[in-house]
Amino acid sequence: MPRAIRGVMIECEPAIKSIIIHLDSVNHDFIIEDCDETHLFVKENMMPLLKAKLEEHLKETYRPEEPLADSE
Amino acid sequence: MPPKRKAPAAAAGAFKVGRTSAKSTPGPGTPRSLDSSMMSDVDHDVNEDLDEDVSEAQKQREALLGDEADEFVDKWAITGTRFQKTKETHRDAASIYFGKRDYSDLPLKPDHHNRPLFIDPFNGTIVLERFSPLSEQATDFLITIAEPKSRPAFLHEYALTTHSLYAAVSVGLHPQDIINTLDRFLKTPLPESVYKFIMECTQSYGKVKLVLKNNKYFVESVDAALLQLLLKDEIIGKLRIHGSDEITTSYAPTMQGLVIPGTQNAAGVHQAGLKQAEKKAAGAGEAAEATNEHELYANLNEEDDEDDKEAVHAFEIPDSAVETVQKRCLDLSYPILEEYDFRNDDVNANLEIDLRPNTQIRPYQEKSLSKMFGNGRAKSGIIVLPCGAGKTLVGITAACTIKKGVIVLCTSSMSVVQWRQEFLKWSNINPDDVAIFTAESKNKFSGNTGIIVTTYSMVTNNRERSHDSKKMMDFLKGREWGLMLLDEVHVVPAEVFRRVISSIKSHSKLGLTATLLREDDKISHLNFLIGPKLYEANWMELSQQGHIAKVQCAEVWCPMPTEFYDEYLRASSRMKRTLYAMNPRKFQACQYLINYHEARGDKIIVFSDELYSLKQYALKLGKVFIYGSTGQAERMQVLENFQHNPDVNTLFLSKIGDTSLDLPEATCLIQISSHFGSRRQEAQRLGRILRAKRRNDEGFNAFFYSLVSKDTQEMYYSSKRQAFLVDQGYAFKVITQLANIEKTPDLAFATAQERRELLQRTLVDNEKGTEEDVETDDLFGKVRRGRGAKGRGVRRTAGTLGELSGGQDMAYIEQKKAANKNLKKNQKHEQNAFFKKISREKQKGRQAKA
Repeated sequence: MPRAIRGVMIECEPAIKSIIIHLDSVNHDFIIEDCDETHLFVKENMMPLLKAKLEEHLKETYRPEEPLADSE
Repeated sequence: MPPKRKAPAAAAGAFKVGRTSAKSTPGPGTPRSLDSSMMSDVDHDVNEDLDEDVSEAQKQREALLGDEADEFVDKWAITGTRFQKTKETHRDAASIYFGKRDYSDLPLKPDHHNRPLFIDPFNGTIVLERFSPLSEQATDFLITIAEPKSRPAFLHEYALTTHSLYAAVSVGLHPQDIINTLDRFLKTPLPESVYKFIMECTQSYGKVKLVLKNNKYFVESVDAALLQLLLKDEIIGKLRIHGSDEITTSYAPTMQGLVIPGTQNAAGVHQAGLKQAEKKAAGAGEAAEATNEHELYANLNEEDDEDDKEAVHAFEIPDSAVETVQKRCLDLSYPILEEYDFRNDDVNANLEIDLRPNTQIRPYQEKSLSKMFGNGRAKSGIIVLPCGAGKTLVGITAACTIKKGVIVLCTSSMSVVQWRQEFLKWSNINPDDVAIFTAESKNKFSGNTGIIVTTYSMVTNNRERSHDSKKMMDFLKGREWGLMLLDEVHVVPAEVFRRVISSIKSHSKLGLTATLLREDDKISHLNFLIGPKLYEANWMELSQQGHIAKVQCAEVWCPMPTEFYDEYLRASSRMKRTLYAMNPRKFQACQYLINYHEARGDKIIVFSDELYSLKQYALKLGKVFIYGSTGQAERMQVLENFQHNPDVNTLFLSKIGDTSLDLPEATCLIQISSHFGSRRQEAQRLGRILRAKRRNDEGFNAFFYSLVSKDTQEMYYSSKRQAFLVDQGYAFKVITQLANIEKTPDLAFATAQERRELLQRTLVDNEKGTEEDVETDDLFGKVRRGRGAKGRGVRRTAGTLGELSGGQDMAYIEQKKAANKNLKKNQKHEQNAFFKKISREKQKGRQAKA
């Protein structure tokens, strides 16, 4: 009997795709199918977790919001 | 104005208020730490035994002093609790968007749109609207009372600090004037906390002065009641020298008669041949004034300009008691400040030095110096001018004004030589009177006073002294210097300063720098050790006036190819840095920009902190490069070629080129990798092109590109680095796509195949023998790493002996034929026609003999 997994298609930049693949490489629990340069098919139930992890990862590369921090 | 003369009563009041908090230790303008016997040794007792090694104990003590200084700085800031009341909360629907910075409860004045200033009641930050018609006046006022923080196009930010307020008082502003003017410019009524802050600072600051006159120490004050109060104090009272039982009264020196050489004023004096008379006025004037008090009071009444002449009262204290008195005065919340009355110092020999008659100093240099000599005496402090704006000349002019023995401290032996040359170039000093004290040469000046140029390390390194340098140090320590010039103050750690200041006695200290910045925030210690920031130039203004070049700044975003980015995500932090520097897209961007600017006739410097990528880029593009282990001779040759050879337009530099490299030919700068989030490095690098020779050409712009790999940590660092320049008013354009980059001929790494090869090579090369990019040239290079580098300590790696000795390196260069070497070869072939002729003739002669 065929097994079905609900998934979400993600379209993103190659860099973001790389990060997601990197995150997936730990447990292989996010990605169902790697479609092409900019598309990924991802398990639907893992989406919130993936979003959170991605957010965390991106913090490293961008300046966190610290408005007016210098004036103190 | 009579009310101002009544300061004593008010001062006494403030004094009691100040004492309610027992721990308050307000800071003087040139403050001294409470328990620092080391620091207060500066001017009095000669400490013979300081030449011992820097022991553990001393280091600990220095650390302690550092902490104390921290505490001190915190306590006396406006944010400190002593000025703040608890904030009554006022919340509405929009409050959440402002967080702590909700000032909606401050009432606006009805005509607020005509007034240019806002003030933050909690930290004294003042925001100025540049577009307001009053902004010019407001700027002038703010420059005197506050420190500039940020000066972009439309909104300027200033900070009210104790030091800046003190500086304001010392040029003759009265607290009430400051408050009135501030209130006039403010959109809101002056907050209570700011009012209290200004009153307290200005009242305790500068009231008591310690003056060294004829080598005797005097405690001096404008108001006699205060001195009486001090004399009644059980500790200070006993210390007074009783030969002079009365409090002596004389008159405060004024700016009158003091002419800073090189200014318009000075030029006038010279022309009129009035120099003699002027000198007399300066020297004898005060003595004459003191003779008749009545006359003077009459005089005073006549002259309604109240800061023109003021009666000063003083009593003498013995040298040995200076420190005790200072401590006691701090406890009494009357910090003592030091000023050097050099015109009345006839104990230290005068130095024959004057600026050459044709030297004209620029208006901003004059402004900065007038802050230093504001009341006819020399104040200690720091002057901040952008790179290439003539800091050296400011230092020399200060020396020419004081005309006493000068000691100059710089960062490297290279700049020692430069300083000496500058002295000879700008002033008429006898070359024998400018001596150099470095490892190679240890001269003394011929006369009884002169100028010594040396490095920080020569003065602070107490270990393994040769006999000569030991003798020299004793000589330096044994005398009193009129002025200590500290070049590039920002690079030197506070501990080094403590050592310098404790071993060499000087009457006044002047620090010079372009970037008063440290990532470790120890800058406030400098305020404390040398003196307040006297002047900071506005970069934008200078570039508009053509003193420094106009610069277009751009940040170029280079996307990482997928395969690089995959590798980047997996890599260690060290490898990450290599990878984002080696990003092939970045390489292409670099190539493109070099081509573009070479075609325009620009001379380009490319900076890279990463040695590996520096070499790879330079070799691939066939350009010359210089890094730490490049030999001196080769360096010189490469630099010469860059300056004069029209075929060499691009130079790759590692971080050794960041500072003190003077290449006025360079007009374009590309940065491919950099030191984390160091704002200082960014500013210093920009400084390399600010002195561009062609800056006054019509429509000339210098270019500053920072290449950044997208989606990497570099983005974060880059935005951090730019903070300083943005504060100075520079705007960074972000370029996401360089037009027609794919059409570049011989574009490097255009195919995926080549990119993969590059990636493999990079990984392999960096895995074995990790090249340590330790640069030995920067003297105080051990800057603490940026905050981004966590947990990078010492690491053990296996390697061959050849690697350690640099042997592998050499083999590498030999194989690939560095562009440097090619140049050398080419040069041999291209002989000057004249020498060709000579050699031909020589050969002929030989043949004839044979």
